[in-house]
Amino acid sequence: MQLILDKLKLRYSRRNTEIVKWKDDTGGKVIGCLPMYFPEEFVHAAGLLPVTLFGDDGPIAHANRHLMTNACGAVRGTFEDLLLGKYDDLDGVAAVLICDQVRFFFQVWSLDHEFDFFHQMWRPFNIDQSSRPFLLNELKRLKSALEEFTGNAITPDKLCESIRLFNETRSLMRALNDIRKTRPGLLKASDLVKAIAAGMIMPKEEYNSILKELITQTRDSDYESGEKPKVMVCGHPCGMPEEEILDLIEEMGAVIVGDDFFTGSRYFSVDVPCSGDPVEAYADFLLNLIPCTTYHYPQNWIGQDRSISTYGDYVADHVRENGIQGVILLREMYCDPFDLEFVMLKKKLEERNIVHITLNTGHEAGSLETQRTRIQGYLEMLNC
Amino acid sequence: MIVAGVDIGSQTSKAVVLKGDNIYRSALFPTGTDLYAVARKVVENAAQELGHTFDDIQRIVATGYGRVSVPFAADTMSEITCNAVGAYHFYPDARVIVDIGGQDSKAIKLNDEGKVVNFAMNDKCAAGTGRFLEVAAETLGVSVAELAALSRRSGNRIRISSTCTVFAQTEIVSLIARRTPQEDIAAGLHESIVSRVYGLVNSIGPGDTGRVVMTGGVARNDAIVSLLANAMKREITVPEDPQIVTAFGAALVARSRVGSE
Repeated sequence: MQLILDKLKLRYSRRNTEIVKWKDDTGGKVIGCLPMYFPEEFVHAAGLLPVTLFGDDGPIAHANRHLMTNACGAVRGTFEDLLLGKYDDLDGVAAVLICDQVRFFFQVWSLDHEFDFFHQMWRPFNIDQSSRPFLLNELKRLKSALEEFTGNAITPDKLCESIRLFNETRSLMRALNDIRKTRPGLLKASDLVKAIAAGMIMPKEEYNSILKELITQTRDSDYESGEKPKVMVCGHPCGMPEEEILDLIEEMGAVIVGDDFFTGSRYFSVDVPCSGDPVEAYADFLLNLIPCTTYHYPQNWIGQDRSISTYGDYVADHVRENGIQGVILLREMYCDPFDLEFVMLKKKLEERNIVHITLNTGHEAGSLETQRTRIQGYLEMLNC
Repeated sequence: MIVAGVDIGSQTSKAVVLKGDNIYRSALFPTGTDLYAVARKVVENAAQELGHTFDDIQRIVATGYGRVSVPFAADTMSEITCNAVGAYHFYPDARVIVDIGGQDSKAIKLNDEGKVVNFAMNDKCAAGTGRFLEVAAETLGVSVAELAALSRRSGNRIRISSTCTVFAQTEIVSLIARRTPQEDIAAGLHESIVSRVYGLVNSIGPGDTGRVVMTGGVARNDAIVSLLANAMKREITVPEDPQIVTAFGAALVARSRVGSE
């Protein structure tokens, strides 16, 4: 089991060289997709390999010259990689404009680096009656752009086939996550996020077969879960959470049994419907994802004395339904969507008596030792 | 029953050796770089003060940032919990604790049973900590104790705009060059630290009932205590020896765990 996890982690860490190898082996083309929610199935149906772009978490030496100081880690990290030439082997890049930072800086990408294919997809922030036709139009625009770039028609059959393949990936990821929930501690949270992220950079056909073997071996493990406080970790809406923080939480005696990461539940919780017109089905999929801080729910802002947070309710329900003792919020510095939701989320957790703590994370976010004290203090609160 | 708590802080290491319910002695040394050696030394000294030896101690709990470097401790516990246990022992009506140590500051909220229900720590840098005052005092060429006295004599408190310790030092040098009176600079520094700590306290939702207790080395600075009390519009209680409260809490935890295994 650990051998497979280590192999997936290695594939993730060598993600840029993996692209070169895949191109050499297949002669195919690769499109880099910024996190998150990019319709990878459309890219796949066009005969291309979609890979999610995760920035490096090392020091930012070049991007800071171009970015304002309150750019988030995901924006800085990916832009740094772009400037370092790590995306030179990509044939194109694409992004759903999930927040203002991505909207601003992704346009800068096209100025700095000429890609054969460059596509920005708009997505409604407010979920209301006008959202669906808008989104449908954007998906059709993406489909046309990909068809023009490749010369390949994305037929309904092809798109359905790709959706089925990606649904299988999500289903396998959910199965792995279920094992994590029912046998706490068997899978380290830091291993799991990397194993999930590996699926975003590898061809799904290959990844799915590896994941099936991993699930078999994990189910066969004779590991016995101990009695440890179970926590859910939220935050880092689109980036890779820091491995050190996840390890620290589990080293300090808790076990992470739920998360809300893009490299976790957010990616695999919902399937794309396979019936009817696949483009329309995809629009419905994007409108019915689990609540997200990058979406706005206008009804939440009506009224002075109401405490409504769709996202907060989702987190609180998840905690209650899974016997989880507390929530650790990873508040990535300069993440606007999460910051905007943060106050309502905290209020909701307080209302529902869910013990929680906030850890500020991200580039240059402070020493691990002070995080150790916060986590230990928090777990002692849970145990008292 | 003899137990001990040892609190290895960034600047100072403290130990309390507790005999029975209320007989205790404490010791305190600068932490330095050899955490194991100072932990051993500070516990031995406190034990000797009580007329005992290190080997007489039945259980030791380590806390503070250096808690993981105390191999002879049976357990480690965060300074948040230990501080709460210690303060609640001395003041059962304590509901808010403000602890300002060498390189961190904390605000802790307790419920009626003394359980921690919320806490906050300073982020990232030394602003709002004892180290901030030390650096400022060094720059002004006075001791930390003199800094508080200077502050009280100020007639025109100036504003120190930098919240970063290093930048504040630069700002002080600039103020000195402009012949700003030392008293006014000192008062501005105290105001600066209190504004940071006050923000921290507010972030835990301190409520308006129960006792506010201030611990840690900076609690000896009555100018800080007075300014914070004014900001909070609450009285603040400072224990007789505010620096050992966390180590005392660790000793109480050790006592509660004797024979638990």
